Parts: sequence; C-alpha cells; structure tokens
Amino acid sequence: MSAGHTQQPPSDTDWSAEVAELEARRAHAEGLGGADAVARHHAQGRLTIRERIAGLVDADSFQEVGKLTGEGRYGVDGLASVMPAPYVMGVARIDGRPVAVGGEDFTVRGGTSWSGDRRKGGQGGFIEDLAGQYRIPLVNLIDGAGGSVTSIRRRGHAVFPGVHGFERSVELLGTVPVVSAVMGAAAGGPAGRAILSHWTVMIEATAQVFAAGPPVVQRSLGQSITKEELGGAHLAVDTAGTIDNVARDERECFAMIRRFLGYLPQNVWELPPRREADDPVERREEELLRIVPRDRRKPYDMRRLMRLVFDRDSLFELQPTFGKAVITALARMNGHVVGVVANNPMIYGGAMDVKAARKQTHFIDLCDCFHIPLVFLVDVPGFMVGRDAEAAATLREGMRSVYVALQASVPMYTVVIRKCYGMAGMGTTDKNGLDFKIAWPSAEWGSLPIEGGVAAAFRRDIQGAADAKAREAELEAELRALASPFRTAEAFGVEDIIDPRDTRAYLCRFIDAAQGKLRTTLGPKAKYGVRP
Amino acid sequence: MKGRTKVAIYNVKSEVTGAVWKIVATVGQKLEPGDTVMIVESMKMEIPVIAEDGGTVKEVLVAEGNPVTEGQPVAALET
Repeated sequence: MSAGHTQQPPSDTDWSAEVAELEARRAHAEGLGGADAVARHHAQGRLTIRERIAGLVDADSFQEVGKLTGEGRYGVDGLASVMPAPYVMGVARIDGRPVAVGGEDFTVRGGTSWSGDRRKGGQGGFIEDLAGQYRIPLVNLIDGAGGSVTSIRRRGHAVFPGVHGFERSVELLGTVPVVSAVMGAAAGGPAGRAILSHWTVMIEATAQVFAAGPPVVQRSLGQSITKEELGGAHLAVDTAGTIDNVARDERECFAMIRRFLGYLPQNVWELPPRREADDPVERREEELLRIVPRDRRKPYDMRRLMRLVFDRDSLFELQPTFGKAVITALARMNGHVVGVVANNPMIYGGAMDVKAARKQTHFIDLCDCFHIPLVFLVDVPGFMVGRDAEAAATLREGMRSVYVALQASVPMYTVVIRKCYGMAGMGTTDKNGLDFKIAWPSAEWGSLPIEGGVAAAFRRDIQGAADAKAREAELEAELRALASPFRTAEAFGVEDIIDPRDTRAYLCRFIDAAQGKLRTTLGPKAKYGVRP
Repeated sequence: MKGRTKVAIYNVKSEVTGAVWKIVATVGQKLEPGDTVMIVESMKMEIPVIAEDGGTVKEVLVAEGNPVTEGQPVAALET
C-alpha cells in the first residue's frame, strides 16, 4: 500500500493525499491483528474488540479515538503498514446515553499492554480520563494478560509497580458507573482493573480471571491446574464472588451490561433514570397473603415474593450464584430505581454467612454511591453460626455490612417478612435516617430467637421444674405471645404492620415521597472512619 | 451452574449443609421442573432440594438422617 504524501506533489490547497493516507491508516486499524489472527480468534467462538463494541452500543454511535495508534512500518515509498495498538476505545451511546467504552484487542499480541506517549485504556488510560472528566459511565471489555516481561528489554529497565497505577480507576468508583466484562483470559493488571468496578460480568467457558495464570501457579506452587479450574466462571463467580455475574455468551453479556447501566445514573451528581411505569402502584397480589408458611420451619420462595411486589420484569439480580443466603437486585418501583436486599430462607434459613455479608456490603455501597434507595425484605435469623462460620470471620464480615448500612445515607425501607433477629437484623435498618420499619403479620423479632434463648436465660427455672421440657415449652409460649408484632406496633417500635398485599402500594408512596431528598442530596459521598 | 449445559443425566445438589430429613421422591418417579426431591434440615429450617429441570429419578444418593454438605449431589436424574 502506498499512501505516503511524498508521491503526489500537492497543489497549494489540496490535502486529499494526506486524507488518503489517513484512510489507509484507518484501514490498517480496522484489520486488527491481521486476517489470520482474527480467524483464529473467531474459531474460538470469540468476537473481535470491534465486533464487541458494535454489539454493545447503539447502532452507529461509536466515535473511536486513537485509531491511528500503533507501530508504523515504513518502506522506501513511505508507509507500508501499521500494526495497531492492542486497544480500541472511544465514546458511544447505550440506550441514548453517552458512555466511554474500550477493550483490549486480543488479536494483537494477545492484548498485552502497549507503550505509546499516552495510554489508551486499562488503568490510567485516556478512556478513564474521558469517563472521569465527562462524568459518563465507563465500560471495560477486558481481554488481555497485562504486562509482558518483553517490555523490560524494550525499555532497558524494569517498571516500578504503579507507574500506570490504579489511582484514576479508584477515583472513578466514587463518581461514575464502571462496568467491566471479562471476555477472555485476564491476568495481572487487566484482572485487577476488572475488580475496580461497580459491576463485573464474565463469559461462560471462554473467559477466565486470576491474579496469575496456570504457568505461574505451576512454577510457584508446583500445582498443575487448567485455566478454567483456576479462574473460570464456576470458581470466579459461583465460589469466590470475584466476578458478579456470568453470561452464556458475548451477546448475552452485552444485553446484561445495557440492562445494568439502565438502572444507574450517568454519574453521582445525577439521579438514576426514572422509567415510565406501566405497572400500577395499586397492584395488589392475593398470593402475598399466603406466601409465608405458618410453620416457621418451612421456607418459601423469596424471589417469587419479590416479583409480586416490584415493577413487573424490573428485577435484575447481581451475584445470583454467590452468597445465596441473601438476594441483591436492582429493581424499579413506580418507575423509580431501587435496590433490593432480601434474605433467602431457602439457604440456611437466611442466616448471614461471610459470603452473603460481603455481597450485601458491596450492594449497599453501590446503591448508596448512586443515590438508589434500598428496600430490605427481611427474614434473617442472625449471623451464621458454627465453627466453620466463625473460622471464616462471619462476625467481622457481618459487622462490616452492619457498619456500611449505618453509614449509608440513601433512604431505606425495612419490610420484615418473617424473622428479624440480632445484629444481622440491625443491619437492615436505616438507624441514621428515618429508621422506617414496616412488618407483615408473620414478622417476629428480637435480640435472639425465643427457642434456644429460653433454654439459656431460664436454665435454673427449667432445670428446677418437675417436667423440664414442659416448663421450657410453657416459657416459650408465654414469651412468644408477648413477641407478637402487634405489641411492638402499639409501642411504635415498628412504624406499621401492613397487609402483605399492600406492600407494593405502601412502598411506592414512600419511594415517590423520597425523591425530593434524593434530588437535593446528590454528589459524591465522602466516607470516613475505619471499616471493621 | 444449572441450565448452562444440557445433559441426559444430571445430579441434583443440596444448596445447604445439614441433614437429610425426608426423602420425598422415589427411584423411577418422573418429576416436573421445580418438584421437591427431598428435604434437608438446616439451621432449624426444612429446606427443599428442588429438581430444577425435572426428569426421572435414577438414583437417590443419600439416606434419611445422612449429613450432607453444601453442593453435595444427593440424587441423579435423567432428562
């Protein structure tokens, strides 16, 4: 290809030769790592970075930046070719709203980092500056292994960790929504970059994420392990919670990213977008009257309960396969975005274990940061008990989630469905706000459950009785009668007890009423203190 | 993860650590998606183990009273 402007003597005002060169250079960029590399990439069932961006954003909305970057090769006739920089990025729109989007090009040197005068993407790149300066969401489509030791030879010295640091990535977490999708094997910097996000997703089977991949593990620990075992979705999403959600394929991944961003504002200085609601506030589901079994030992389907209460088809669950004792979901009520934290009685009776606590902490942080009110659907018997739970530091992780809830300043609505006990129960209330708690007639609460509590508190009384078992049952019955939620409501210790069928309308009215507070308390939230 | 791959025989797993309280399904029985295979007692709750995709019970891998751990296969079903 000969596009050098030395070839045609230009007229006084004609720049078409340069424009032709520009077009030629752009064509090299469109070619990515070359036809063979692209074919190999496709053969693995993976899209190129350009196809990914096209699949994610609104049609014809992508304005690329830095398309000319790369390594030019020159012959006697001028430019011969350009091997593009392994990162493609720019500004685009998702559902009409501007976003900064970028990702590694795996077909160029496996997406390893590239050293121009200025970084394009990854931590500290132009794309992060764009998102931060323009206050628009950032979407990272991650498919790279980070640095390569070959850079030492190129530079003639080893780079100190943090020369291309995470400081901008960290700043963005307090200002604009950041989504990272792991599209291939991500290790090192790109893996770390993914974690510094509000929400993460990875592709089943074709994506893996780890601090270091199998060769390093083999050398360091002598362990032979596949990359799927080390960082596939089963480990990274279901077991470790390193990544939040899994998508079956890349198309589903793009749909999930669009969905997630639909619940978030463009930045912390704006409110989340309200959607015109087609689900009536007064919708009253009869099933809610019968969803909770009278037998306290029998669980029920909390997800079904959620669907009956929140706007139709509005629930988007985050981390559905991790920390399953609690369900965290974005949803809408009368069109307003809300965050839902619901205990799942199917998993350890809803007891908060270390994973559920970590999940709840992150979700409360997310909602508080973006001014999304929280609805707690409470059925929690307390922190998970037992040696394993203690060894995993459930108490510390659980108290961290209580701490975060107490620091959060978005409006919270506590709806006690059944059990609300102990410290985990306390973590579901808005103690520093309106402290607004409503209960279903099936609700019960206390510092600890009556059964077990009676045996401990009345030990001498029980042991001294002629029939110890009968005495224990008698004491339990006495206390249970006093523990009726109606008695607490008499004392205004809960603000209301409601017909379960009225839950939706009741909540909608208060969420509507809270919009003024939300509108007038926008901006970043400074956090102080030391998290336990 | 459930629903990710389609196979002829799949294991139904207990989502919680606990003890098998009651086995509801019998070998050879045809279950609909969402039917209960057995009930595991955990944290003083009776937690149903659900056949997410339904199918015919080929084998029950535990007995009543057996302890089970989170993620342990408790029955094999054929779809």
